[in-house]
Amino acid sequence: MESDDMQDFAAEARRFLDAHVAKAPDRTAVTWGEGDDSMAYFSSLPPDEEREFVQRAREWQRIRYENGFGWITGPVEYGGRGLTPVHDLLYDAVESEYDVADTGVLSVIGLGMIGPTILAHAQPHIKDRWLPAMYRGDAIACQLFSEPGAGSDLASVTTRAVREGEDWVLNGQKVWTSVAQHSQIGLALTRTNPDAPKHRGITAFLVPMDTPGVEVRPLRQMTGGADFNEVFLTDVRIPDDHRLGEVDGGWTVALTTLMNERATVGSEGVGPVAAALSPDHLSALMRATWTWDDRALRARLAELLVDVLATEHLNARALRKLRGGIAPGPEMSVSKLMYGQNLTRAAHFVSDVLGPRIIADTGQWGTYAWTELLLATPALRILGGTEEIMKNILAERVLGLPKEPATPAAKEVRS
Amino acid sequence: MTADESELRELRASVREFLEAKSPEEAVRKLMESEPRFDPAVWSQAADQLRLPGLAIPEEYGGDGFGLVEVGVVLEEMGRTLFCAPFFATVLLAAQALLASGDGDACARLLPGIAAGRTTATLAVAEDHGSWDPAMVSARAVLDGDGGWTVRGRKCFVLDGTTADLILVVARTVAGPTLFAVERDATGLAAEPMQTLDATRAMARLTLDAVPATLVGTQGAGGRIMAKVLDIASVGLAAEQAGGARRCLEASADYARVRHQFGRPIGSFQAVKHKCADMLVQVELAEAASREAARLADEDSPDFPVAAAVAHACCSRAYMLAAMETIQVHGGIGFTWEHPAHLYFRRAKSSQLLFGGPAVYHERLLDRLGI
Ligand SMILES: Cc1cc2nc3c(=O)[nH]c(=O)nc-3n(C[C@H](O)[C@H](O)[C@H](O)COP(=O)(O)OP(=O)(O)OC[C@H]3O[C@@H](n4cnc5c(N)ncnc54)[C@H](O)[C@@H]3O)c2cc1C
Repeated sequence: MESDDMQDFAAEARRFLDAHVAKAPDRTAVTWGEGDDSMAYFSSLPPDEEREFVQRAREWQRIRYENGFGWITGPVEYGGRGLTPVHDLLYDAVESEYDVADTGVLSVIGLGMIGPTILAHAQPHIKDRWLPAMYRGDAIACQLFSEPGAGSDLASVTTRAVREGEDWVLNGQKVWTSVAQHSQIGLALTRTNPDAPKHRGITAFLVPMDTPGVEVRPLRQMTGGADFNEVFLTDVRIPDDHRLGEVDGGWTVALTTLMNERATVGSEGVGPVAAALSPDHLSALMRATWTWDDRALRARLAELLVDVLATEHLNARALRKLRGGIAPGPEMSVSKLMYGQNLTRAAHFVSDVLGPRIIADTGQWGTYAWTELLLATPALRILGGTEEIMKNILAERVLGLPKEPATPAAKEVRS
Repeated sequence: MTADESELRELRASVREFLEAKSPEEAVRKLMESEPRFDPAVWSQAADQLRLPGLAIPEEYGGDGFGLVEVGVVLEEMGRTLFCAPFFATVLLAAQALLASGDGDACARLLPGIAAGRTTATLAVAEDHGSWDPAMVSARAVLDGDGGWTVRGRKCFVLDGTTADLILVVARTVAGPTLFAVERDATGLAAEPMQTLDATRAMARLTLDAVPATLVGTQGAGGRIMAKVLDIASVGLAAEQAGGARRCLEASADYARVRHQFGRPIGSFQAVKHKCADMLVQVELAEAASREAARLADEDSPDFPVAAAVAHACCSRAYMLAAMETIQVHGGIGFTWEHPAHLYFRRAKSSQLLFGGPAVYHERLLDRLGI
């Protein structure tokens, strides 16, 4: 089904990767008791190791960029390669066979979500300034959307931006901001018109994170580490040319980001957590814990694997559609939902296999380590749109069910 | 032969058009209370106009030589309308058993009639306990004096067992489970219809009292043949289940848009909206699992056996959930005899358990994965 052009591109990607990195070890195969038994979805590294980790991500991104694989879909004038999303997916598929540095810190939010938003809505000199820097791995970007009072209902942001001459002055608080501690820029949603209907009084700004008044405070999460942060904005002066889109037209900008968010989240099935969904790994665990012939656990394992493998089929079909030039339907949203649910069910299945060995560390390889995954799974049902919000979207956009009627409170905001 | 995307769309459209005309709900309801439980006139039209029975039979035996992908499209459509016909038993069970036997003579003798729609056929494996595991077969076949075989025993859950012209029977010989062909009018064969949870799928109990039979394939090959047939048949069943589940989802979403309570459409209540979204998720997974398995079968991929087990389990669950929630979304009216929801509920439960049910297919999947 792949065209010659695609085959050439894949071959070129292989040549590049062969020249720079080794083939990946198979993360789904396991020799019990050997190797790293980490099951961390979120990092919980000590600060200096964390810095090193981010440095490795930046370096690998730079090498990719310099060889034409750092921004495959980007326009050539901003340092991109000018190819299609299908080339991008193909590259990802090829790269997954290699042992490369984890670049999630740069790519999930910055390159996956903020980059496309800047490209679509920023002024040309801002694009010149930031896009090559981001895709070269120099600048990490974060998403300053959520606030204590605005999560699912993102349009109720209250962080204020007030015009003062050529500048805007921002005041407010953002929360749950992933990678802000490593970021050079952030995309902030602010309220510029409290009198307009709530979706129409929002403006988006690109905030250099070293601007005076920007304060990032790590927020400890339930895994123990601190991947996300609170970001306080106190009299932060941002020039008007850092505005994205129209004044009061920030909701359109936000939608660009959110659309890309739904495409990004859920596509990261690699890394240590791949083991949680691997039949080989799970069966090795059952052997090691003498639960091999427990009929109830076997039935649950089978149920879990049915979902995992069916989700793989769904992804494979979406990819095949893309390669054939057909836009996938609801597969991506369904896949995001299933990814969170599959990992959640895997973690609880493993807990039941392990029994007491997941409540206290016996020092045995591959047992207590699963707490790392177990404690990460609640986040997967929340981040990037909660399960409930995703179901609303599926029901309303795919099945055409009516929206919920506006509540009196929502009407008040609009009137 | 493989159809491309537009040919598959065309196939789907013509099958759908045919079924909407020939198998509306009234027709299904009438047939499920009559004997036989299908309309021979419609069956021969399906054969003459659409060439359905021969779709996946190799050209050398009079068929059109397509694969499971194309048959899957047909079965999705049949599942949508609960089409009453001997298609599943004839095409997915009997014809596949003949092909899997590797017995060229038997194929040349029996398949052209099936392909042309002249012969309906079925496969009799399960006995009173309902297991499709050939190791559980107790019917016996012995050589009679003249070099022929006779089969003795009882078979149960035989699809279209009172009407099929040709019955392939798995019986035990000294060499192990073995496949035999038995003609409808063979002496010593008696068939009685079974009462069924899903009245749109006819099943029978057969009594074989020293019935003359012809060996198909080699003695003792029944286990190998059945493994192959069950994989293909369960993927066919999965397509039918996915089609039924899709139909349930559509009916529920349609109803949720128009039925008003408390002054608003019930689909605007999140409890209902989320039920529909859950059904959508299951239906998407089911279609992906069954279509992907069919594709792997046609590519002769080593991944097929695992994919077949996944499709069977995934689609069984998806259909059951969709059928249950359809009744819930419809409220009281969904529980009436007049409403079609119960027909889908019956089909979903009966299909889920046809080849043994969750306990069996879970172990089958684990076995395929080497666990
Ligand atoms: C690990 C992690 C990383 C994150 N990273 C970032 C980031 O980098 N940048 C950023 O801006 N944000 C980030 N977030 C925030 C995330 O987007 C929000 O947490 C999420 O959108 C939910 O908002 P909330 O937490 O305010 O919950 P709420 O919106 O208060 O929801 C609470 C509960 O109510 C339910 N609910 C709310 N509205 C509805 C409705 N209409 N229908 C049905 N149920 C509803 C929700 O589903 C949920 O169960 C991150 C969150 C996590 C957990």
